[in-house]
Formats: sequence, structure tokens, C-alpha cells
Amino acid sequence: MSTSPPAASVWRRHWQAALFLLPMLVVLALFCLAPLWWVAVHSLYGEDGWVGLDHYREILSSAFYLQAFSNSLSISLWSSILGLLLSLVAAASLRRVPGRFRDLVVAFVNMTSNLTGVPLAFAFIIIVGANGALTLLLRQAGLLQDFYLYSSSGLILLYTYFQIPLGVLLLYPAFDALDDDWQDAAALLGARLWQYWLRVALPVLTPAILGTFILLFANAMGAYTSAYALTTGNYNLVTIRIGSLVAGNVFLDPNMAAALSVLLVLLMVLVTAVNQWLLKRSYHAR
Amino acid sequence: MRANLYHRVVVLLLMAVLGLPVAATLLYSLSSRWGATILPDGLTLSWYLTLWQDPRFLAAFGNSLAICIGTLVLGTVLIVPAAFVVFYRFPSLAKWMNLLILIPFAVPPVVSSVGLLQLYADGPLAMVGTPWILVGCYFTVALPFMYRALANTLGTMNLHDLMDAAHLLGASTGRAFLLVILPNLKKSLMASLFLSFSFLLGEFVFANILVGTRHETLQVYLYSIRQTSGHFTSAVVLSYFAFTLALTWLAARLGKSDRGA
Amino acid sequence: MSVVTVSNFAKRYGSSTIFTDISFTLRSGEFVTLLGPSGCGKSTLLRCISGLTGVDQGTISVDGSDITHTAPQKRGIGMVFQSYALFPNMTAAQNIAFGLKMQKLTAAEIADKVAAVVKLVELDGREQQYPHQLSGGQRQRVALARALVVEPRILLLDEPLSALDARIRKTLREQIRDIQRRLGLTTIFVTHDQEEALTLSDRIFVMNQGRVEQEGSAETVYTQPATEFVARFMGSYNLLTAAQSQSLLGITPRGHLTLRPEAMELLTSPETDTLPAVIKSHQLLGNVIRYQVDCQGVALSVDCLNRSAEALLADGAAVFLRIARDTLREVQ
Repeated sequence: MSTSPPAASVWRRHWQAALFLLPMLVVLALFCLAPLWWVAVHSLYGEDGWVGLDHYREILSSAFYLQAFSNSLSISLWSSILGLLLSLVAAASLRRVPGRFRDLVVAFVNMTSNLTGVPLAFAFIIIVGANGALTLLLRQAGLLQDFYLYSSSGLILLYTYFQIPLGVLLLYPAFDALDDDWQDAAALLGARLWQYWLRVALPVLTPAILGTFILLFANAMGAYTSAYALTTGNYNLVTIRIGSLVAGNVFLDPNMAAALSVLLVLLMVLVTAVNQWLLKRSYHAR
Repeated sequence: MRANLYHRVVVLLLMAVLGLPVAATLLYSLSSRWGATILPDGLTLSWYLTLWQDPRFLAAFGNSLAICIGTLVLGTVLIVPAAFVVFYRFPSLAKWMNLLILIPFAVPPVVSSVGLLQLYADGPLAMVGTPWILVGCYFTVALPFMYRALANTLGTMNLHDLMDAAHLLGASTGRAFLLVILPNLKKSLMASLFLSFSFLLGEFVFANILVGTRHETLQVYLYSIRQTSGHFTSAVVLSYFAFTLALTWLAARLGKSDRGA
Repeated sequence: MSVVTVSNFAKRYGSSTIFTDISFTLRSGEFVTLLGPSGCGKSTLLRCISGLTGVDQGTISVDGSDITHTAPQKRGIGMVFQSYALFPNMTAAQNIAFGLKMQKLTAAEIADKVAAVVKLVELDGREQQYPHQLSGGQRQRVALARALVVEPRILLLDEPLSALDARIRKTLREQIRDIQRRLGLTTIFVTHDQEEALTLSDRIFVMNQGRVEQEGSAETVYTQPATEFVARFMGSYNLLTAAQSQSLLGITPRGHLTLRPEAMELLTSPETDTLPAVIKSHQLLGNVIRYQVDCQGVALSVDCLNRSAEALLADGAAVFLRIARDTLREVQ
């Protein structure tokens, strides 16, 4: 390869080619960047003009909004951690089953990763709703006292469920990075299985685990449909609040919705930053 | 041997847990009545018969199909040339594109719909309440997946050598793209289209907030009939599942033959 | 310093036999090579000796005590893998220290032992680097150090040089042999490269399809191949069928006749006991020229010393071939 020419001249020489980029960028700008810009700007406006940080002050002093944030956070964290642990165990085993069976399972997991939103909420109502088959079964067996699907534990269950296929699909390829010889080498050097996992496998998988965690967490923080469909918008989550402030039937305040949106995005950025920091400190080859 | 058994049991458990909702919905959609008992009272196909004769369902399903197909056509027409141009002419742009396509992936739909609802409610681009706004939004949802799939293939195909060879043999850049590059992109493009199709069909947030019942999609219809019979909604859910299953199966098949090539 | 005895080893996967009826005894401090083409069962045999893979039949003992059912980590085995199997999340020093940590040695003891072995394999200054920052040869030496530092009774080397380029391979194999001699380690080395086997080993086991075809010193295996397979595998032997032997030499062997390329001479004029031949092509192999000649319809390779450009015989030239009959050997 020769040294690349200065950027400006590339653009001048290939301006016709650059025209092919334009339509895609315009649509992206109209339907993604412009609305984000609107949200950022209008979070500082009220119905009668500039209000500065008033909306943010109101949110931070309102028990109701703060509850929405703490509910969103706790459900997202718990479902991401549970989903991550379960998918880790599943992905580790998935790598150890015969190829054809594995392909089948991956295809199945892939399919179930699309079962989210309204249909999933309905399926959950059928199984573990107040009169759900599993609820009745467990109640008869005396294993269940008062499980209520439309509560935070119900939502954590639902969220964890849709995190698992995602986690498995994201983690499973990372296990390819584990060389079987490492386990043999560790065994010959006197390590037990758990020592191999603790000292070699998990450290090597850490970047993938952290990367998967952040995707699961962001996925849960931004999720709206499952909770909305399950509780018909009655559970207090940030996304539900935002939705009801722009499309509810009682009281609309798009500017407040914008401020909540900005805080939600900032929170996700913050968690991503912490995650990146952990990632930097963890082992990473190449 | 004991380790093998353990791994099989774990994987089977995974499948059981993930398959449970589908199985339960299937059973529910086929049962005549399933009240406060663990197993249904009787089996019937009547829910499906009612469903597939319901004009409102058929209209919503048709709307969803039209919007998804429209989005994917638009996506193909805009994204394929753009991805090619990035890799062929502006490789330094590739890392910026990777960041750019992260934005629609990372921002929750409920957040962008706050802005969309205000920007396009009136004025020259009044689209709220029409399927057009959904086509635009769905484009941004599908963009990261389609672009990534194309970029992965473009990145591994020796693009410049192929183009140089085609040029030396007398092809113009346009013809070389159509005759040499495009056929090589076909498999990953098709796989990403099927994948996008299956999750766009399940999209609810944009459809519900921006359009709602004014131009009802499958998911909005499904939500709005939640008060009617659970057996009936289950039949809707299962019809939709079956459709998605067929699509993901097709996508997986295409993806696999892509790897094999 | 250990004596290793393997008797009647056999291993099957389903219906296919990987190896059967393997028995041998290694003397203390001996360097033995398992040589064979890929798929001959040599690597599986090594894994069975290490205990990482179980055997279906047979026993193995070290210094008289049976370790057939001993866990791999308790056998006192050091192993260098073909892929090196260095832990990518640990530095060179941490990799080397791993086995000592598992033995719960104190930090001071570990530091001492690591420093000593680092010096032994000449890795000074690389201790704090991660595997991906090291060259292939350095990685190989980290792997060797990691296996040596726990003071194993037996050292197993599974194609440890195959991932390296030719020049490093030569220096490293001498280094390995040198360290092995100094420590007096009983060593089993697996390779498919006959040159490596010939230069390194006290004894070679040539393996084919799960059986030992021939066992012996490097000299014996090279100059006196016992079977057609060994003759073919050891290099450029000419193999004559019974009919060819009969027509060229008037000998009828029971199997094949081996004829080494350097055991022939090409003359420009006939003498007693020479056969007329025609040069088909030639190949320059440094100090040797390898001629492909046709001698009464039999194609032969003949090596001649590359003395001078003038002495080169042109393709198509008619020559006379003298065969050193005392080097001929019959193989089955």
C-alpha cells in the first residue's frame, strides 16, 4: 500500500461516489439524529419558552420520577446480572455438545430472541399470570405463596427471560477464544477445574462478559413494550413515564419527556463509561 | 462422560425454558377453554379459523408486511451502495460509520419518538399517524444490522483486487459493482434482510406512539385486543411466531450457506 | 531421572483404533522421538502417557510404580503443547509461575525458581511481557520453561517446533536438546519431521497407523529401514519392486529393495558393473545435485556432490550408473 493521499483530495476526486452516501445519511439524520437533537434542546424549554434546568430540577426532586429511575435501574441490573449468569452457564455447555445438536440449539435460541414485546408479555400472562398454568402448578405443590407477575419480581423474570437468548448469542462465539489446550495445560500444572475457570477462562472471557453485560443492561433500560404490555403502562419505569408524557391520554408534556429522555441516555452513557473503564483494566489480547 | 451428560442437560434445560412460552401459547391457542386449571378442558382450531377470517387482523397483518417490505427495499437501495462506497473509496470513513450506526442501535425508541412526535406532527414533513414515519424509523432500526452484515463481507472479500481485476478486464466501476461485488454481497444481504424483517415485524414502540390505531400494525392490533379472549390473542401470537420462525429459519439457512462458501 | 515403562497400550474411539499394542521402556534421561505422519496416533499416544486422555488397555509405570490410574497432575509430567497453550491473560513470568502457585509455594520460592528457569531458557528481560507481545520462538521457550519449572519426572513435547520458521526451529531444537541433557530429563518428543527426529533423538519410534513400524537409533532407522513404509517416510529412498530389482540387478527380493540416492555414482564412460542410463532432470540441493535418471525404464534419484559447474551433467545426457551393492536392503 502506498501512503494514503490527504483526506481533502480524496473527497474532491471521488465527489460523485460521495453522493451515494448522502441519501442514507439524510434518512438517518431525519429519523434519528434530528429527534435526538430536538430532545436535547427542548428539555431546556417549557411551553412558554426557555426554562433552563427547571425540568431536571423537578425530576430530581420528584419522588415519583425518582422512583421510576430506581425501578428501571434495579430491574435492568437484576435482569442483566441474572441473564448474564444463566447465559454464561448455557454458553459454556453449548460449546461442549455435538455440532449438529449445537447448530439446532443456536437456531432455536436465535428464534426465541425475536420473541419479545407484546407476544412475550401475553405468553407470560398465560404461564405465570394470576391464573397461569405454572402459577397454579406451583401453588398446588405449595412452592409458591404470593408471586405476582405484575410486580417488580414479575418484570425481572420477564426481562431475564428475554435477556437469556441475547446473552447466549453474544457470549457463545466468545467461548471459541478458549483453547482446549489451556485446560489441559492447567490440569497438568496441578490446577483443578475451578482454578482453571477462575484464573484462565474467566479472565480471558472478561471483555466479552463486560461487553455483553452493557448490551443487556442498555437493552433493559430502554425496554418499553414488555413492561407496557404486561402492566398496561401501570408500572413506574422511566420509559413508561416518557411514553405516557408524549402519548398518554391524561396529561402531555413533551418537554418533560425530553428531560427524562436526556437523563435516561446520560445514565446509559455513565454505565457504559464505567464498563469501558473496567474493560480497560481487564485483560485484553491484541 | 459425566461432564458430557452435564452439558447436555444444561442445554436441554435452556431449550425447555426458552421454549416454554411458545409451547404454552400454542396450547392456549388450541384449547377451547382453559380457566383456573393446569391443563385445558378441550382442544379446538376455532380460534385460528375466527382469526384468519377477521378483516381487522388481516388488514393489520397486511399493513405490517407492507411497512416492513417497504423499509427493507428502501434500506437495500440506500445502504448497499453506501457501504460499497465507504469501503471502496473512503476506507478512512469506516470507523466513523461504525460509530454512527451505533446511535440508532443505542438510543431507545421511546426517546427518539419524543422528538419525532414533535418534529413531524405538522409542517412540511407532517408524517405522524401515517405509515411513512414508520418506514423512516424502521430504516434506522434496520440500518445497524444491514450495514454490519455488508461491512463484514466487504471487509473480507479483497474488494480492491476484485475491482481492479474487473477494471482491467474492461468493466466500468458501475458494471464491476453490479456484476462482481453485488453477487458476492447477496447472501449476507439476504440474511440481514430476513433478520431485520423478523424483528421489525415485532416492533411496537414506534408503531404505538407515532401511529397507533390510525394505521394499525400487527403489534398494535395485538395489544388492542388484549381485553378479548386470551385464546384468540394466543392464536394471533402463534401465527406471528410461526411467521417469524419461518423467517429466522430462512435467515439461518442463508447465513450458513454463506459460511460454507 | 526416571525410567518409564509402557506396556500393551491401546486406544480406540468408537470403532476406529487409534493405536494398539504399544510397549516400550525409556531409560532414564533418554530422548525418544515418536515419528510419523499426521494421524498415525503419535499425539494421542502422548496424551495417553500424560493421562489427559485415558487408555482402553495397558499400563504405564514410572520408576516401577504404576501410574495408569493416576490423575495427570499427579504424574509428574511436564508438557509443551503444539499450540504452546500459554495463558493469554498472564505475563511470561505468571505463566511460568502458574504450576508453582498451584503447589502453593511461597512467593519467594516462586520468584527464585522462575528466575532460574528464565535464565535457563534465555528469556531474561521478557518476564513481564504477555504472550501476544512475544515472538513465536520466545513463546515456545515460555512454554518450555513453564513445563520445566515444576521439575517434572518426564517431559513431553508435542510437535513443539512445528509452528516456527525453519531457522528458529534449528536453533531452538538444539537449545531444547541441550537443556534436556543438562537436566537429564527423560523426554518424549512427537514430530512428523524426520530431520528433526534424526538430529535430536537417542532413539526413534517410527509410527504408522497406530503401530510402531520400527524402533532404533537414528542411524539404524535411517540406514536400515525395516519396512517399506519407514524407507519411504525417512526420505528420498529409491524403492525397487521385485521385477525392477530383477531386471536391473538380477536380484529377486521378497518385498522391495531400497537403494539410497547417495549410494550410486554417475559415470560418463562405461566400466565394469555399470548400467547405461539417461538424465531426465536435475535439482540443485546446495552441496548436492539430485539427478532424476531413467535406467532401463526404472526412474531413480541419484545424489552427486556438487563439485563444480563443469561437472554438471546436462539433461538428456547418456551416462553410466554404478550401484554400491553392499548398501542394498530388502524391506517388507
